[in-house]
Amino acid sequence: MIKKELKVLICDDSILVRKKLKDALEQAECKNILEASDGQVAVNMCKKYRPDLVFLDIVMPNKDGIQALTEIKEFDQSINVVMASSAGTQTYLKQAIKLGVYDFLQKPLTSDAVSELMNRFIKARG
Amino acid sequence: MFSQYFGHYLLNKRLINLLQLQDVLELQKSNHVKLGILAINEGFMSVEQVDETHEKQMLMDKKFGEIAIELGFLTEDQLEILLTAQNKSHLLIGQTLIDRGYLTLKQYSEALINYKKDHSLSDEQFQNISNGDIETLINRTLTVGHPYLRDVYIDYLSLFAKNMIRFIDDQTHIEAQPFTEPEIIPWLVTQKISGDMHLWTGIATDESLFLHIASKFAQEEFDQPDEYAQASISEFLNLHNGLFLVNMSNQNIELDMEPQKVHQDAQLIPDTLGYIVSVHSSSRTFYLILSNQLQYV
Repeated sequence: MIKKELKVLICDDSILVRKKLKDALEQAECKNILEASDGQVAVNMCKKYRPDLVFLDIVMPNKDGIQALTEIKEFDQSINVVMASSAGTQTYLKQAIKLGVYDFLQKPLTSDAVSELMNRFIKARG
Repeated sequence: MFSQYFGHYLLNKRLINLLQLQDVLELQKSNHVKLGILAINEGFMSVEQVDETHEKQMLMDKKFGEIAIELGFLTEDQLEILLTAQNKSHLLIGQTLIDRGYLTLKQYSEALINYKKDHSLSDEQFQNISNGDIETLINRTLTVGHPYLRDVYIDYLSLFAKNMIRFIDDQTHIEAQPFTEPEIIPWLVTQKISGDMHLWTGIATDESLFLHIASKFAQEEFDQPDEYAQASISEFLNLHNGLFLVNMSNQNIELDMEPQKVHQDAQLIPDTLGYIVSVHSSSRTFYLILSNQLQYV
């Protein structure tokens, strides 16, 4: 699979973070990018669009990232989720790992970190 | 970092004016610290001894250190320490103040002594501060008596000072004051932290500085407080608080935080255990609110 074919969902309540992350993904040659502004919207979009990869913030209104991760994995274990948050506490990390998270990115996100993760993801999928 | 704090101390004491402070902070970046200043900072030589050494130096082709040793003002070991410290940037402010004629050597020496005295600093604490230990400085300025809150506030404010430098402005300087007067805030971004303890945090500012901070953090120019500008300030607070949660988590204190909220024309209700922290950035000031029972209307 090549990056252009990947369907990536960005979920963050910050419009600025979504914009920056989208720019970084486009730089990394990802073209099929969806956006959600909270955990509930992300869960709904996962059910509707079945993304290959989800970038999920943790602290969000309506439904936080851990709860959204739980529901996404209950619905479809094969959806890969990257937690992208400034709050990488031990509690959150343990919960996310237990729920089968693909990776954790510490904010502030950089283009390099996003690009490296995407390359690794593509390589792992063959 | 010491330069910002000592420079603002001089400003508050009216020993220099704002333009001189800005000039000094700019110039010191490229200045080179002289051994006489270092010797006074370290307490190895008096002002009179440095002046005498300078006078001799004008009459002979020898270096300051050699003459000071010949005159018995310095030992070899002390000179070694001074030479090692000469490259430390935090002492440049003294050199720059004197080179520009804003302070005499004597005024500078007295200001340093008074700075230590006003902040109740031991020589060791002063050395730590001048070497960039922000925790020690903030510890000396906080007056909250509750020991647990005090430690948390020190951690929080020290990290905030570092994050301001990292993400917004490397010329940042912060001052904590007890939070006792009601304030009307044009723009207030808040975030509540809960878990093993409760903290209310907020960034309070006028519109002009709101846009300035938003632009700096997002690395793009905002001329209106639109949703992107609001998101930028919110994300800066969220990022800082998230990093604070990670630090606390590493100390086995597990905390959580709520999504940020943006308020316009909010009035803060004073909290005797809280602080309103002046954050000086690019010659302007905004406020960081830190409280365990913040309320606003």
